[in-house]
Amino acid sequence: MKRSNPWLAVALWTLISFLTLFPIYWLFVISVKPAVDLFSTPDVLLTSIDWQNYIKVMNDSTLRGYMMNSLIISTGNAVLVTTLGFLACYALTRFDLAGKESVFFWTITNRMAPPAVFLLPLYLLLTQVYVIGDFKLADTHLGMILVYCTFNLPFAIWTLRPTLDGIPKELDEAAFVDGASAWQVISVVIFPLARPGLAVTLILTWVFAWNEYLLAATLTNFNARTLTTGLSEYVTTTGTEWGIMAAISVFTLIPALIVFGMVQKHIVAGLTFGAVKG
Amino acid sequence: MQSKKLGWLLLSPTLFILGLFGIFPFIYVLWVSFHEWNPFAANPEKLFNWAANYRKLVFDAQFLASLGVTLAFVFFAVVSEVVIGYILAQAFMKDFPGKAFFRTIHTLPLIMAPIIVGSIWKLMTTPSIGIIPHLLKNFGIDLNIGQSAIAAFCITVIMDIWHWTPLVTLSLIAALVSLPADPFEQAQIDGANKRQIFWHITLPMIRPALIATVFIRLMDAMRTVDEVLMLTGGGPGSATRYVGVHIYKEVFPKTNYGYGSAISVIVLYLTIVICWLLYTSLIAPRNKRG
Amino acid sequence: MSDDKEAAKPGFLPIETNWFDRLFISVVIWVALSLFWLRFIEPLGLSVWIAAAISVALGAHIIRKG
Repeated sequence: MKRSNPWLAVALWTLISFLTLFPIYWLFVISVKPAVDLFSTPDVLLTSIDWQNYIKVMNDSTLRGYMMNSLIISTGNAVLVTTLGFLACYALTRFDLAGKESVFFWTITNRMAPPAVFLLPLYLLLTQVYVIGDFKLADTHLGMILVYCTFNLPFAIWTLRPTLDGIPKELDEAAFVDGASAWQVISVVIFPLARPGLAVTLILTWVFAWNEYLLAATLTNFNARTLTTGLSEYVTTTGTEWGIMAAISVFTLIPALIVFGMVQKHIVAGLTFGAVKG
Repeated sequence: MQSKKLGWLLLSPTLFILGLFGIFPFIYVLWVSFHEWNPFAANPEKLFNWAANYRKLVFDAQFLASLGVTLAFVFFAVVSEVVIGYILAQAFMKDFPGKAFFRTIHTLPLIMAPIIVGSIWKLMTTPSIGIIPHLLKNFGIDLNIGQSAIAAFCITVIMDIWHWTPLVTLSLIAALVSLPADPFEQAQIDGANKRQIFWHITLPMIRPALIATVFIRLMDAMRTVDEVLMLTGGGPGSATRYVGVHIYKEVFPKTNYGYGSAISVIVLYLTIVICWLLYTSLIAPRNKRG
Repeated sequence: MSDDKEAAKPGFLPIETNWFDRLFISVVIWVALSLFWLRFIEPLGLSVWIAAAISVALGAHIIRKG
């Protein structure tokens, strides 16, 4: 479109990349600084590397437990919402259901609502109402997996719907004519074709669940506490263990970065929540 | 084409879970908001008290102040993000080496957990260990986000810009790439200057993408909690006590569940109204036309 | 969010709405008016029930004619 000098654009983008990367670099710097050097004059360059904070984090059994909880909850949640979202989208695209557009819209609204609003009702429901005998949903893996559905399930439905719309309906009609059951159609005909879309949805919902903090901080005490809440435990009024906090941050960041590398191309479409093409 | 029963059967687990954890909590919080309820007070029973919670709410200076700073935060953050994002997207339209590389780097903040972003900026700005106050000292500026309200507010806005500008940039790049070249060539032949091209051709053509992006950013900025909670904890004073932070800090320590519910209901009300107004006035008419 | 199945008819509102949209608008107005009333008019001695009555009347009008 414009054939003017590209160097201005290069300069601008170099500056922006530097500004984007520097905070992440600084996180790493703090995480490998020995505790004694922390409060001396901050130095932009890395002078020495000390892995002590990382070793401390890995040897801390509480934090290992938190990491395990995070893994269980995000994996469980991602699998659940992708499965349910897949079935729901199949229903939404293949059946002529009364009021399905309203269902779709109000499902999406669930994600737009500020999570802070749901803190109190969910807390009350999980501790006092959704109780079976001695079993409370609060502070359990299952409870958190279900609670995370409120923001991840609408997202899964939103991103999977175009995928299922793109699979020709003639395919399942042909299979039905051949006498296949609904379950066979979904698992043998539709599932293989929807696999790429399902993979992206699975990964993005996993990242969202992994990154969540506010609900986990409110609804868990110990048994199902996640890594992100562990992070905030190192900020106290008496003082903060900066190095440890930075090391946990890096640990929390790494899985997201790996995932980022896997689905880099699709991530933008996913994060913009599909609305841009709307 | 097939039995509708099967369709509803497939939808039912989704509707069941969303009903149990999305719709029912909303009804429940609405019901509680009309009660006086403090389970840890002398009288732990729920007492129906009509609109007393709401009566208290509209005169609650702290809550109204929190709404005010939230709106200021959302305004400054979203406007800056759109302006910076547009400039970057335009710069991206030129051919230069390493485009894909630059874009990948730019995408990084998007996948980072808000709480991590908060902790990173805390590490950057805390006076004793942070690099930013240290560098600013060379220019004679003393930055202390624990004491200066305006500094804390600015840092939260900058943090939000750092975190979310990439989203705006990437959506606008997508929009600009898909624009046809003809109108621009025609305009140049007709002798239009850059500013005229921007206002009369580029802007109307990227409007849909721009509106959708602003819409998403607006909703997300209104619900910002994690990073601010980590960075400033709402302080100093109540300079960065955005509504989400306010709910978190107000409701749980004070265990005044009736009043807390009323706050939640009103915040949800405001979000839905803003969301609905934008949706119906900007997005829905466009879908109807084509 | 208006459904194809439900009749969307033109009324005095600037946008096309179905009955559900109009109910939603009425509730939004009710809440806004009530909050405004609690803050500014109730201290003058007029009960908030007057606001409720006005809202219901307005809501009925919107749902029928909107």
